Amino acid sequence: MRLVRAIGQVALAVLNTVGAVSLFALRGLAALLTGPWFFGQLLRQLSAIGFFSLPVVGLTAVFTGAALALNIYVGGGRFNAEQIMPQIVALGITRELGPVLAALMLAGRVSATIAAEIGAMRATEQIDAMRTLSTDPFRYLVVPRLVAAVIALPLLTVVADTIGIAGGWLVATRFLDFNATVYVRNTVDFIEGWDVVSGLIKATAFGFIVALMGCYYGYTASGGARGVGRASTHAVVAAAMLIFASDYLMSFWFSRL
Amino acid sequence: MRGQWIETLMGFVVLALAAAFLIYVVRVGGFEGVRRGYEVSARFGDVGSLAPGATVSVAGVKIGTVSRVSLDPKTYLAQVDLAIDPEIKLPADSSAKITSDSLLGGVHVAVAAGGSPEDLKPGGEIENTQGAVDLFGLIGQVVRPQPSGDPANED
Amino acid sequence: MTRPPPKLEWRGVSKRFGAEPVLNRLNLTVPAGCSLVIIGGSGQGKSVMIKLALGLIRPDAGKLLLDGKALPGLGGRLQRRLYGKAGVLFQGAALFDSLSVWENVAFRLINADGVPRKTARRRALAALERVKLDPDIAERFPSELSGGMQKRVGLARAIAADPEILFFDEPTTGLDPITAAVINDLIVDQVKRLGCTTLSITHDLASARRIGDEIAMLHEGQIVWRGPAADLDRTDHPQVRAFVDMQSA
Repeated sequence: MRLVRAIGQVALAVLNTVGAVSLFALRGLAALLTGPWFFGQLLRQLSAIGFFSLPVVGLTAVFTGAALALNIYVGGGRFNAEQIMPQIVALGITRELGPVLAALMLAGRVSATIAAEIGAMRATEQIDAMRTLSTDPFRYLVVPRLVAAVIALPLLTVVADTIGIAGGWLVATRFLDFNATVYVRNTVDFIEGWDVVSGLIKATAFGFIVALMGCYYGYTASGGARGVGRASTHAVVAAAMLIFASDYLMSFWFSRL
Repeated sequence: MRGQWIETLMGFVVLALAAAFLIYVVRVGGFEGVRRGYEVSARFGDVGSLAPGATVSVAGVKIGTVSRVSLDPKTYLAQVDLAIDPEIKLPADSSAKITSDSLLGGVHVAVAAGGSPEDLKPGGEIENTQGAVDLFGLIGQVVRPQPSGDPANED
Repeated sequence: MTRPPPKLEWRGVSKRFGAEPVLNRLNLTVPAGCSLVIIGGSGQGKSVMIKLALGLIRPDAGKLLLDGKALPGLGGRLQRRLYGKAGVLFQGAALFDSLSVWENVAFRLINADGVPRKTARRRALAALERVKLDPDIAERFPSELSGGMQKRVGLARAIAADPEILFFDEPTTGLDPITAAVINDLIVDQVKRLGCTTLSITHDLASARRIGDEIAMLHEGQIVWRGPAADLDRTDHPQVRAFVDMQSA
């Protein structure tokens, strides 16, 4: 009986959170559609979320591309198919790893920052203060971050795709005796527009998730400095889990098209 | 922003590297590519999984790449364009064969040099060709010599 | 009787957090032009009163009236009109730490009133001057300022748009007596200059005496005593006595 009650409580809590997050997202969309809009804030967030994430995303992509190339070379070698390595690397990067890795780096970097920023503003009454200054914190704080992440993540994914493939190319030509030109040609001839586009669609959804989790947990933070820390952690964990889950759902859906 | 110049710089470095690689890809990737070497063509009955970018070799040494694979609408033969290193002159009566270097994929064009004193001219055609061998068809034939009808072969 | 309605009125307002009742059918009026100070120990719901008046939280029962009209709470049109007329100095100053000092002071002008940045900056510098801050700090960030200076910037932000009502939430908490006295004087100056209605909450009696025309004591969710500032030492109301004596001891 006690177990049933505990399970019921957990289930209710989960449903509660799902409902609260959905409402939060809808409120964000409504604010986005009705304005006023703070373009200065949007530019600021684009640079913070997008541009300053380039180093981590680039670094992650180049190493992943290189490691992926080595592993596929080894795996392909088990049935003498090393030569298809460029195609598999390109496919893996554009459809899956580019968007997912960029999103995960953003979850670690941006979700945490957003949750901490907004959470600290909540804890020090800055959000209340903003409202008394006739400015809607939702439009000033949340909407620019959501929009910036939705714009920035696909762009970062394009960079991650390019650099990831470059990483594979680098290993293949330096250590595995592939011809540089042939590698590139094989990649270009094999990759279809949809491989890249489906990755970018994923990235758009991930961008929304990353910013939404940061904003939601920051906005609802309570309990001072500890609450802010907790909000940060929750935002990163929730963003990462949602990225993986939605990645599978979207891959499944795309594979049926 | 104060103290962020190094991050700004890193951002630009990443962008520059990505752009450099993209430019390289566009240049060699065959988008109206800077074509090096001269083109010859060959027609095959079956090219298998031959794709642009595949190696063209003589005696196992690479001399060029496949630049285009298309279907000749009249003869229903596969038309393959080869970009050959300008320093290599192939005899006019050379023959081309599609061979695979592994069980899955990795198909390339092997050219056997002929004995003619005349060279194959740019835009010329290698007339003596041998298409890809359907490996799985061959395996199938070995495993099951007679497809059906013989009760003795059934378990 | 054609007396004008009070500027701000709490009518039978109740609020509870969980099972804990914080305000219990509270009734209070603030006449226009009056400076009312609410005193009371911590945890008596003083902050909640201000947050309710500002529409930052909703009452469970009762209503808030501005100029005799009910405030609908969170985001309503009247609520926004109140914000347009109100200035608030928060307990921790609540300055935006990603913005420079002058951008903080000019926040409403730039983001809500659509004043061009140049004009807004000029008005922000004027507001800084009124709270006796050097214009040199305009480009600095809040984290680079001392607590007393942050409070002054907060005050400058509250008065920058010439409000009709000013709210002060524990204006002297966390400050040394000398800085607190400076802040009190600045508040009195500005309230006089603007001729506005003010509502302050504090547990600092020195501050209450300096700022307030009238003082009201909040105890267990209700106003238990109200009178002119001078009466504070003469009343024999037990809770007020206890509070006053404890602070003078």
